[in-house]
Amino acid sequence: MQFQIEHGPAFAWLRVQLGAGERITAEAGAMVRQSPTLEMDTRLNAPRSTGVFGKIWGFMVAMARKMFGGETPFLNDFHGATGGEVVLAPSLSGSVVHRRLGGGSTMFVQTGSYLASSGNVDMRIRWGGLRSFFGGEGLVLLECFGDGDLFMNSYGGVTEVPIDGAFVVDTGHIVAFEGSLDFKVRSIGGLKSFLFSGEGLVCEFQGRGTVFIQSRNMDSLVSWLSPMLGS
Amino acid sequence: MRYDVLDAPDFGLLRITLERAGERIVAESGAMVAMDAKIKTETSMRGGVLAAAKRKVLGGESLFQNTFIAEADQQRLFLAPAPEGDLRALQLAAGQQFFLQSGAYVAHVGEELKLDTQWGGVRSFFGGLGFFMLKLTGPGTVFYASYGAVHPVAVSGNYICDTGHIVGFGSELTYTIQKFGGYKGLFFSGEGLVCNFSGQGQLLLQTRNPASLVGFLNPYRRVQSRS
Amino acid sequence: MHYEIQYRPAHALAFAHLQPGESVRAEASAMVSMTPNVAVETQANTGGGLLKSLKRSMLGGESFFTNRFTAVGSPGHVSFAPDLCGDLLVHELTGTQLLIQGSSYVSAPDSVQIDTKFQGFKGFFSGESLFFLSATGYGPVLMNAFGAVETLDLNGELIVDTGHLVAFTSGIEYTVTKAGKGWIQSFLSGEGLVLRMRGQGRVYIQSRNPAEYGRAIGAELPPRRS
Repeated sequence: MQFQIEHGPAFAWLRVQLGAGERITAEAGAMVRQSPTLEMDTRLNAPRSTGVFGKIWGFMVAMARKMFGGETPFLNDFHGATGGEVVLAPSLSGSVVHRRLGGGSTMFVQTGSYLASSGNVDMRIRWGGLRSFFGGEGLVLLECFGDGDLFMNSYGGVTEVPIDGAFVVDTGHIVAFEGSLDFKVRSIGGLKSFLFSGEGLVCEFQGRGTVFIQSRNMDSLVSWLSPMLGS
Repeated sequence: MRYDVLDAPDFGLLRITLERAGERIVAESGAMVAMDAKIKTETSMRGGVLAAAKRKVLGGESLFQNTFIAEADQQRLFLAPAPEGDLRALQLAAGQQFFLQSGAYVAHVGEELKLDTQWGGVRSFFGGLGFFMLKLTGPGTVFYASYGAVHPVAVSGNYICDTGHIVGFGSELTYTIQKFGGYKGLFFSGEGLVCNFSGQGQLLLQTRNPASLVGFLNPYRRVQSRS
Repeated sequence: MHYEIQYRPAHALAFAHLQPGESVRAEASAMVSMTPNVAVETQANTGGGLLKSLKRSMLGGESFFTNRFTAVGSPGHVSFAPDLCGDLLVHELTGTQLLIQGSSYVSAPDSVQIDTKFQGFKGFFSGESLFFLSATGYGPVLMNAFGAVETLDLNGELIVDTGHLVAFTSGIEYTVTKAGKGWIQSFLSGEGLVLRMRGQGRVYIQSRNPAEYGRAIGAELPPRRS
């Protein structure tokens, strides 16, 4: 399999050339164009080696993801007997980032940031901290593991920040982070800041590892647009 | 304090380094993306309760601002605006005046910088859109953002633009606001107002119009069910 | 007249430079700025009849009115931008025909004729409607792309998601088909309808789908009353 990330950083897409029998899994709705030689299979987002109950659980988890992450619960697998090319793109403006997984490493990916994966990459949903009583963002993550390629998308540009110590990120701006980091979800300051700062929740990272941050977020966009909306 | 802007002009992201403990920057609420752990955040009402309340009624601007104060040396702070587009710095000399569209304000440095919302031409620019013009008086540095790219125009004579595309302009320019050729669009765009600038001075335009985005998104909103 | 495009590819702004007496037409909401010597005429889009224009505006593809900008007395310019971030591109017509997806057309001079050529497809599930304008004649046509543009010279066959198609030249045949093997899969896969394109010619593709973008953000916005 070969791939190119083109048109970044503002409107990046992922172009993949699949060899005979190779496959790539992508979030539903991501296909831009494809060779007619490729087939598309649709399945539920559940770890592959699960039985019936596992699949039902996977469906419920995927529905929960849909409520919190805005993602549909389905994935598409592209493959073909003679191979072919498929181009995948996310819904929002922004970048696409590639990460090679293997050797037991994990990436925690914000649910809306998963675009595609290949090889033996698998995932499960994780809750990264309580949803606050006042509403707010919480943190719903996909833990991605296995051997293979992982492709993530961002809203806005992506900045990779290597951490050695402590670092704080607004939860809406997290694309992904390495599993080696400890994290804790909290409010940005005291009670007054929590209620009025407009910042929502933040995630404090500790340890060593890389965080990928995106430079735009949906909540800020909605706040910016809301006063302009008619009824 | 050092700063640079990443990913400009596509998705400007402001990276500030507060080099010494005690250095501070004031920012629009909601602008914080990420920061080193030894930065304290103080939330306060901007310019007093009454002024803030009046601003809230006009819309488009939050009541609160955040002051970020370094508690150690070399603390990094990343700030970003809401819209997709560029982010730039504007240095104002003492007494220099500039009008900035309220939604474009991101942050500023300089205790003496004045942000004024109480002046004559405040509301007329944007119809019912919820934006208004801030009057800035230097000295200080203002960080502002655009929806789209920033297109600077050196006005010499007259120039006409759609008001939704105005980011800001120097106080040396005069202007009149009028309906666009009598045409009232069928689109949701804030009444199609144009601004005719005259004189010699700097005009900053943005290459996208928030009202057009709102018009595009409107059909995709859920419809409120009657109960 | 000629178009000059700046701030490509994400925030493109097009300047139509006009000699005295020259005109350019544009979709109603596209004007960003202009020199003071440009006169503006608003016209109802009667190409194809009033009923067709109304149909077009109801489908959401194109507004009912176009503006005609003319430089008077001296050279001037008008600048245009689309609703969403992304690129602008020019295709030069030389007596040929270009089929443009409805919401991608921005502007053209009088030497180019724009006609509606409605393709009657409303996607059952996604609400996508497919609707093309036909551009013929001589001169440049200004189009917008949501996202970045890919210019493909097709010689063979290609499957394209409907929301990602900007325009294509008339030597290409296409059929609208389901993305998946059945209607349910087409819905669940998120792809809906796709275009199977065959032939020789040029295809312009945009790297984002406006309807998907609209749905992703629209779902987060406060509901509207009607």
